[in-house]
Amino acid sequence: MKPWDMLRLSVSNLLKRKLRTVLTVLGVVIGVASIVVMVSLGLGLSRSLTEEMESFGNMTCVTVTDLSTGGFYMGEESEKKDKEKKHLDDKAIAELSQLDNVEQVTPMLTTNVICLSGAYMCNADICGVPEGYLEEQGVELEKGTYPEQNGTPEVLYGNMVVPSMYNDKTESGYFWDGRMADVDVMKDPVMFVFDTDTYYNFKGNVPSDNGKVPAMPKKHLLPATGLIAGGPDEYTQHAYTIYTDLEDLKTLLKKEFKGKAIPGQPTTASGKPYKEIYYSRLMVYAASMDDVSDLQKEIRSMGYGAESDIEWIKQSQDQMKLVEVVLGGIGAVSLLVAAIGIANTMMMSIYERTKEIGIMKVLGCDMRNIQAMFLIEAGFIGLIGGVVGLILSYIISAVINVFGAGLMEGMGMGSEMTGISYIPFWLSAIALIFAILVGMIAGFFPSLRAMKLSPLAAIRNE
Amino acid sequence: MGDNEVVIQVKNLYKIYRVGDTGVRALNGVDFKIRRGEFCAIVGTSGSGKSTLLNMLAGLEPPTKGEVIIAGEHMETKKENELVAFRRDHIGFIFQSFNLMATMDAVENVALPLTFRGMDKKERDRRARSALKLVGLSKYMDHKPTQMSGGQQQRVGVARALVLDPEIIFADEPTGNLDSKTSEDVMRLMQTLVRKKKQTLIMVTHDNHLAEYADRVFHIKDGKIIKIEEKRASEEQEKEL
Ligand SMILES: Nc1ncnc2c1ncn2[C@@H]1O[C@H](COP(=O)(O)OP(=O)(O)O)[C@@H](O)[C@H]1O
Ligand SMILES: [Mg+2]
Repeated sequence: MKPWDMLRLSVSNLLKRKLRTVLTVLGVVIGVASIVVMVSLGLGLSRSLTEEMESFGNMTCVTVTDLSTGGFYMGEESEKKDKEKKHLDDKAIAELSQLDNVEQVTPMLTTNVICLSGAYMCNADICGVPEGYLEEQGVELEKGTYPEQNGTPEVLYGNMVVPSMYNDKTESGYFWDGRMADVDVMKDPVMFVFDTDTYYNFKGNVPSDNGKVPAMPKKHLLPATGLIAGGPDEYTQHAYTIYTDLEDLKTLLKKEFKGKAIPGQPTTASGKPYKEIYYSRLMVYAASMDDVSDLQKEIRSMGYGAESDIEWIKQSQDQMKLVEVVLGGIGAVSLLVAAIGIANTMMMSIYERTKEIGIMKVLGCDMRNIQAMFLIEAGFIGLIGGVVGLILSYIISAVINVFGAGLMEGMGMGSEMTGISYIPFWLSAIALIFAILVGMIAGFFPSLRAMKLSPLAAIRNE
Repeated sequence: MGDNEVVIQVKNLYKIYRVGDTGVRALNGVDFKIRRGEFCAIVGTSGSGKSTLLNMLAGLEPPTKGEVIIAGEHMETKKENELVAFRRDHIGFIFQSFNLMATMDAVENVALPLTFRGMDKKERDRRARSALKLVGLSKYMDHKPTQMSGGQQQRVGVARALVLDPEIIFADEPTGNLDSKTSEDVMRLMQTLVRKKKQTLIMVTHDNHLAEYADRVFHIKDGKIIKIEEKRASEEQEKEL
C-alpha cells in the first residue's frame, strides 16, 4: 500500500469522528502546553539569573591576586612559601598573557581613600584602570566621560558612592536615615585623603610612635569626569568604586607615600616597601566560560591567587536545571494523561471498526499496513495536538511576560528583565516530536490489536 | 493450462468447534476438486456448515484437520500475513451484507483491493470505472453506498471482487439481503461475468433455486457433502433444443 493512501485513509477516519478527535487532541494540546510553559518558565528564570550574574561580574574573568598581601583567596596556596608567591607586575602580565585561552590581561591598582565634601564624608575604594578599559567593559555612564590619563587623577564615581556619604554631625546619609547626601560630585569640590591611617589618628587624637598626634594628612582635590549609571540601590561590581586612570594613580601614590609603605602593597621580608608599585589585581579574561575553571587552576599553580565566579555560577546553573526538570515533570504528567486519552480513543475506534478491519483483511490489506494506519492516526492526533499546543504555549508565554513584567517591576526587580517565560526554538521542536511520539506510543498497543483482529468479523451478518 | 486444471482441492477436511465441553463438527470429512472456470454452488440448510467450508477455502479460518490446496498452495500451513497476501493476489470476495466502506464512493470502494496492492490512483480508478461499467453502474460512479439500493450495492461488491481479475471468487450468500427479483439479476450478472472471463466462482446459498445458475451444485448436510449435481451438461442440452 502506498504511504499516501495510508495517510489518506487514516485522516478520513479521524474526520469521521470529529468531536471525539477534537476532544482527544485537546488533551494533547493541554499536555504539550503545560510542558512547554513550565519548561519555558524554568528557562526564563535561568536566563534572567544569567543576566543578573553578568551584572555582578564578567563571567569569563579570573581575578588574579598577590598571595603575599593576604588576597581574599585563602586556600591551600596561601601556605606556599613567600618565595613562590609572585607579585603582580608587568612581568606577571606578560606571563599570564601567554597562557592558552587567555584573551586579555588588565591590571588594576586599588587603594582605600576617604572622600570629603562639605559636611559629608565616605570611605571608598579608588581603582586605577588602563585608559579605555571601562568603555570596553561596557560600563554605562549617567553623565560625563570616562577618566583619561593626564598627569593628575580625574575620577569617575560609582552610582552608590554618593549614597554611602555620611554627615558626621547630623548623623544622616542615604543608608542611615534615607536622606541623600547633599553633594553633586560634578560641581562640588571633593577632597581625597590617601593616607587614611594618619587621617583617623589625627581625627581620633591618637598619638603615633613618637608620642605626638600626627598632623592632618594631605588632601587632594580630584576633579570628576562623570558618574556611572544606576540608582542608589542598584548594586553592580562598579557601584561602590571610584575609577581613575592607572598611571595617574601610580604617580600620585608614589609622591604621597615617599619612603613609606603604601597600604595594600607587598613588602619585603623585613617589612620595607619595594621601590616599584605593584598592581592590586590582574583581570584575566578567558576566551570562553568553559575555559575559566581550568585557567583558574593553572594560574593558582603558578603561585598567584586566582578567583572567579565560575563555581557558584555552575552551582546555580545546576540548580536551575533541577528547577527546569521539576517544572517539566509537572507538565509531563498532563501529557501522560493525554497519552492515556489517545490510547482510549484508539481502542474505541478499533471496537467500532472491527468489521471494517475484517473486510480490509479479507480484501487483502497487509497486516503491517493496518497497523501503520492506526499508528499514523495516533501520531496525527499527537501532531495536531502538538502544533495547537505550541501555539497556545506562545500565547500563554506572551501573556505571562506582559503581566509578569508589570508584577516584577512592582516588586522592585530589574526593569530590564527579558521575560519570565522563554521558549527557544529547540524547545518547540522537541515538544512537537515528543507529542508525535507520545501519540504513536499510546497508539502502539491498540494498533497491534487492530492488526490481529480476525477477518471473520467481516463475514458476520448483523 | 487447460480448462480441466484443478484450482481447488480439498482433502479430508474437518472443522470442530469447541462449545463448552462438547465439540461441534461443522465440517465432518469433506473431499472434492474444483476445476478452473467452474461456477460451483454450495447448498444446504442453515447450520449445515456452508460458511465454515467457504471460510476455510478462503483462508479466513484454519481447519482442525485436512488439506486445502488452492492454485497449488497449501492454505492450512500458511501464516496469517501469508494468507492475507495470498488473498490479495488470487482471491476476490463477495459478502452477504455487501460490506462497502461507507465513506467511500463506488469507484473508491471498487478500487480498494487495488489500493491494498499499492497501485497508483490513476490506474486503479481507471480499472474501477471499467469494472463498474461491466456491472452496469456507469451512472453511479461517485455515489456513496447509502445513496444506492441493495442491488446496486451488491453490483459494486461484484465489481470489487472482479476488479483484480482473481483466479477464484468466493461469495457467501451474495443475494441473502436482496429481494428475489434483484437476486435473479445479480445471479445472472455473476454468471455471465465469470463465464466470459473464465473465472472460478464458489457461491454459498441456502436457496435451491438460485443454485440452478451454477455449473455444479454441492449439497451439504451436517458438515458432509451428500450429493454433487452436474448442471452444465443439462443446460447445454437445453440450448441445443
Ligand atoms: N465460531 C463458532 N463457534 C462455535 N460453533 C460455530 C462457530 N461457527 C459456526 N459454528 C457452528 O458450526 C455449524 C456450521 O455453521 P455455518 O458454517 O455458519 O453454517 P451455515 O451453513 O449456516 O453457514 C453450526 O452448527 C454453527 O453453530
Ligand atoms: Mg452461513
